[in-house]
Amino acid sequence: MFPSMRLRNLCAIAALLAGNALAHHSFNAEFDLNKPVKFTGKVTEMKWSNPHSWIYVDVETGGKVVNWALETGGANALIRRGWKKGDLPAGTMVVVDGWQARNGTPTANVSSITFPDGHKLFAGSSNEAAPTK
Amino acid sequence: MHFWSFRALWKRRSVPLAVVVLTAVCVSASAQQAKPALPRTRDGKPSLEGIWQAQSRAAYDLQAHAAGLGIPAGESVVEGRIIPYLPAAAAKRAQNFANRQSADPLGKCYMPGVPRIMYMEHPFQIFQTPDNIAIAFEWSLVFRLIHTDGKPPLHPGFDSWMGDSRGHWEGDTLVVTVTDQNDKTWFDLAGDFHSDALRVTERYTLLDADNIRYEATIEDGKVFARPWKITVPLVRQKNVDRLLEYECQAEKEEVSGDFERDPRTWYPAPGTKPADNPDATATLPPSGPLPALKPAAKVTRTADGKPDFSGYYQPNGGGANYGLEHHEKVNLIPPGRGVIIEPADGLLPYRPWAAKERADRVNPQRGYDDPTAHCFPGGIPRSFYTPSPYQIVQTPNYLVVLFERMSWRIIPIVAANDKTRTHLSDSIRLWQGDAIGHWEGDTLVVDASNFNGRAWHNEVGDISSYTLHVVERFAPGEAGNVVYRATITDPIVYTRPFTIEIPLAKGAEELLEVACHEDNGDLQHLKDIRDEYRAAHPAK
Repeated sequence: MFPSMRLRNLCAIAALLAGNALAHHSFNAEFDLNKPVKFTGKVTEMKWSNPHSWIYVDVETGGKVVNWALETGGANALIRRGWKKGDLPAGTMVVVDGWQARNGTPTANVSSITFPDGHKLFAGSSNEAAPTK
Repeated sequence: MHFWSFRALWKRRSVPLAVVVLTAVCVSASAQQAKPALPRTRDGKPSLEGIWQAQSRAAYDLQAHAAGLGIPAGESVVEGRIIPYLPAAAAKRAQNFANRQSADPLGKCYMPGVPRIMYMEHPFQIFQTPDNIAIAFEWSLVFRLIHTDGKPPLHPGFDSWMGDSRGHWEGDTLVVTVTDQNDKTWFDLAGDFHSDALRVTERYTLLDADNIRYEATIEDGKVFARPWKITVPLVRQKNVDRLLEYECQAEKEEVSGDFERDPRTWYPAPGTKPADNPDATATLPPSGPLPALKPAAKVTRTADGKPDFSGYYQPNGGGANYGLEHHEKVNLIPPGRGVIIEPADGLLPYRPWAAKERADRVNPQRGYDDPTAHCFPGGIPRSFYTPSPYQIVQTPNYLVVLFERMSWRIIPIVAANDKTRTHLSDSIRLWQGDAIGHWEGDTLVVDASNFNGRAWHNEVGDISSYTLHVVERFAPGEAGNVVYRATITDPIVYTRPFTIEIPLAKGAEELLEVACHEDNGDLQHLKDIRDEYRAAHPAK
């Protein structure tokens, strides 16, 4: 379910616009291909920043809620794809695919974010090779 | 007044009138002498081009202040002397002042914002075109791009450290409005501050060839009772012919040990040369022939007939930032098409020790060692294929590249036979190198030297050393694009020269700002991974 028409439109734009993300560090060094993660959670905050933006998501596992930090493309990449601050309000439910950080903290680099109805939300991973649509 | 008409008056014995006319001519002549003609650009505007620095104590405290240790005393540069804080803000300022040694954002090497960057004790260089004015600052390679084409911002409301600058000319004064600055910068070392409602109106008035009157009016209804204004003189730096680099964060991490030295880099003790390395002076075989550059069907040209490269570009690096050689995707390292066009095998001509080191440097525990993970400047040629856009500003004498990830490159363009401009002293070493360019037909050829050897060529650990020497070529490509080539000679690391080629794709976007180290959450992760590895693998 889309929280807004605007978000639905953005997703349509995002699906068309794949391109360079703004990696500034080795994705391979920080995240682990052998630790793929997939979970459903509730957005608590989207932090617009460079060189990466971060989406924070509450994930419930076995009655315990963990707040995951999801690394995405920088604010510049997002704004050029038509995003605006406030487009991903707290409370939005998302399905996240990505890779966990090597240090084992609840941190992941996102390869895709999907709404529960299956629509994909492009996030601009810090990795050029990550799926972008 | 022409002389012949004066003589006619004299002949007609109209002496009183002649005296009046003569007086008027003399007064007018002396007035002209008092106000010398200003240097002007081709479009008739006063030319602000050149290297400038504020002559002021404003950076310490905008208001009148007594001396302190390392701080010279200074008069107020504020009109009416006092900054008109609202009561709550005055309390906050007092708190900032008390904590200034640790709380000044500049102490963390954060970008200083406007107007503070304009009166820091470091020089800056102005490049002026009809559409935009670029200011490159020696301090941390910060830059400003002032749009003077009359267009509104493409991304209004996008907060940044240096803000969005839009300028126009009012007579001979450049007026610049700066908006969208974040609330994290200060105006000086004394804790004078603002909120995100800050609006700065700058006025640059060229008084004569060597002096600019710089005024900035500060409006911020959340912090100040009324707008207020500062005036600071900017003085041409006559004995300086180029900017150097003061990369704040790199120098800080050098001192703290957070970024470690490497023998291939230039860190001599004062008065000495780097450790002797016979390879440093090795004579390498020359580069093989390069494929000829294909002439572009259509070339946009400047008023003086040179190819016009100015504009916004997105590199098509084809994964060069993850390896210059052709490679498939490995783990989470993206693939690369291979950008080496010479030698023909497309492989890096590594010396054996360097190849061995490279194999180690690709490991996760070395991710921390990549200088761009620390947000240091990308170096050359890497800055051109880091996946981040840049703006080229071109004047008859300079090609300036402003990299969105906040660093710059200044390439002076001299006549091909001009030998008067030479590279810097050997002991001055830079991240982006020292460049000298000249035109060969439609190709801008750049000779770049004086590198510090700290930069990597990509994030998988292809490295450079202090013997790095790069010859670059910028040539017109199709559809307004630029073909970029770089021939790299680096005898400490490589046995022969090699050349890469990257297309630079022109775009219709506007440059924004990446405040990289200001919000670099990854670096601690990478350090943890390195430290964990070191704990498990103690050095033998």
